[in-house]
Amino acid sequence: MRGIITIALRELRGMFYSPLAWTLLAVLFAICAYMFNAGLLNYQIQMLEYQAYGMKGSLPLTERTIAPMLGNAAVLLLLLMPLLSMRLIAEEKRQGTWPALACSPLSPMAILLGKYLGLLMFLAITCILLAIPPLTLYAYGNPDTGQFLAGLLGLFLTAASFGAVGLAASSATDNPNVAAVASFGVLLMLWIISWMGNSSGGVMDQTLSYFSLMTHYQNFLTGMISSSDLLYFILLSSAGLLFARQRLLAERIQG
Amino acid sequence: MTETMIHISGVTRLFGSVKALDNIDLQVHRGEVMGFLGPNGAGKTTTMRILSGLLAPSEGSIAVAGIDILENPVEARARIGFLPENPPIYGEMTVREYLTYLATLRRVAANQLTTAVDRAMERCGLTAVANRLLRNLSKGYKQRAGIAQAIVHGPDVVILDEPTVGLDPIQIREIRQLIRELGGEHSVLLSTHILPEVRMTCQRVAVIHQGRIVADDSIDGLENRARGKSSHFLRWSQPPSLELLKKIPGVANVTPKEEGWLITALPETDPLPELVRLSVSSGWNLRELSPAGGSLEDIFLQLTTREERPHEGEELSA
Repeated sequence: MRGIITIALRELRGMFYSPLAWTLLAVLFAICAYMFNAGLLNYQIQMLEYQAYGMKGSLPLTERTIAPMLGNAAVLLLLLMPLLSMRLIAEEKRQGTWPALACSPLSPMAILLGKYLGLLMFLAITCILLAIPPLTLYAYGNPDTGQFLAGLLGLFLTAASFGAVGLAASSATDNPNVAAVASFGVLLMLWIISWMGNSSGGVMDQTLSYFSLMTHYQNFLTGMISSSDLLYFILLSSAGLLFARQRLLAERIQG
Repeated sequence: MTETMIHISGVTRLFGSVKALDNIDLQVHRGEVMGFLGPNGAGKTTTMRILSGLLAPSEGSIAVAGIDILENPVEARARIGFLPENPPIYGEMTVREYLTYLATLRRVAANQLTTAVDRAMERCGLTAVANRLLRNLSKGYKQRAGIAQAIVHGPDVVILDEPTVGLDPIQIREIRQLIRELGGEHSVLLSTHILPEVRMTCQRVAVIHQGRIVADDSIDGLENRARGKSSHFLRWSQPPSLELLKKIPGVANVTPKEEGWLITALPETDPLPELVRLSVSSGWNLRELSPAGGSLEDIFLQLTTREERPHEGEELSA
């Protein structure tokens, strides 16, 4: 356990030693803040139109401002996470530091969990950062806190499963670029896999929709936390970790 | 001191259909520095990677400090310090951060971390650069940092894969001194293809060639063994014919070498007195007579340039 935490903390620090993490956070924050503002202006116009027709009450604020921003943040992370996760194992192998880790008294799973935990810590920081623009709404309006938090949790879980897929890709190669391309491909496929469905609600449609990352994330954005969605993300992350573990074990045998 | 700290028995390793290691047996005792010699591609690195747990053997078993490395890999690795060919250096860390990180991973207790790291740095001469980034250090210091990480957790067994490659002569001398000091406290397996290094640092030598251990003895033992063959180098200014030399009783073989002759005696015989007598009486003018074939180089060459193995034995990427 001490080993896992030691690796995680080093991983987190290592990310901030390199400009990559800073750049990633800056780009993500800038784009999300812009989208949030755009959404807010849009909401204002819609509200004016809505009231011009003499309607009472207001349009759902959270659903029209915070949820779209979080939704877009996930798409951005789908692009950016592979760049962050590609280094996890592949970089160690390329730099020749892998033996120092692999010869330490740690199981392959402990090494992977340490790396993954470090990535999750970074994601937690990212989510906190992305919570800042929505928080400003509290000064002027009355956003739905439950929906906001559910969305944020959904974003964290989605990005966490991106990370697990990235970790699997990173452990399968000693070239970080290959890892990035591979994980991006898998993630995008998982994101859009429901497009193949024919919206007839048949078995095929339901199955593809179950596999789709987007479907599960969208439930969180509407404020719904269901065990089925939680389970999906946990399964996807576990699958990534287990695949990576198999790769590391197989490497000892194959050489 | 006869406790066996490394026990390799019957280890074979295949890469595809290529046999990188072929039924290797090797033992290193407590406190011993064992030289692991062999030409490039003989299987030294493969053996060390298997020993350190980076590779699994195809067959055979390995125990480190009595712990089977296949049955209990994590515990066994706690007893091992490994310096690969290229030191595993995190450029963005300082020497102290680096050693503290790896010492923590290798279960050094939290309250002993500073002591362990300080001691490793002191032993490897790194104290002066403790707070410098590894990336900015010279090759020699990086190598020392690599050795420091291999000993920081006080392992029973230290495995060093060509630790002096690429260093300048002063650094080489310092590192050899350090390796000598490591013996006694740790058991050291040192791979190299530099023969003087073995003589200076090791008590015992194993020679590996084409994936097989072809010799395993003390340095003196190896040299004596070669001397037992009793070869002598003779040079005359009026040399006799080859046929004449071969006819002298007790001579097993005569080969020309550097303007002279290398003469090997039959076992239990000594043709030297007769050779000298003939040299004088026949006026061959003997200029030089010296024992040959006893140096480590000769043994090494003898062992590794012998007849090829019957089955395929191409250069292996080890």
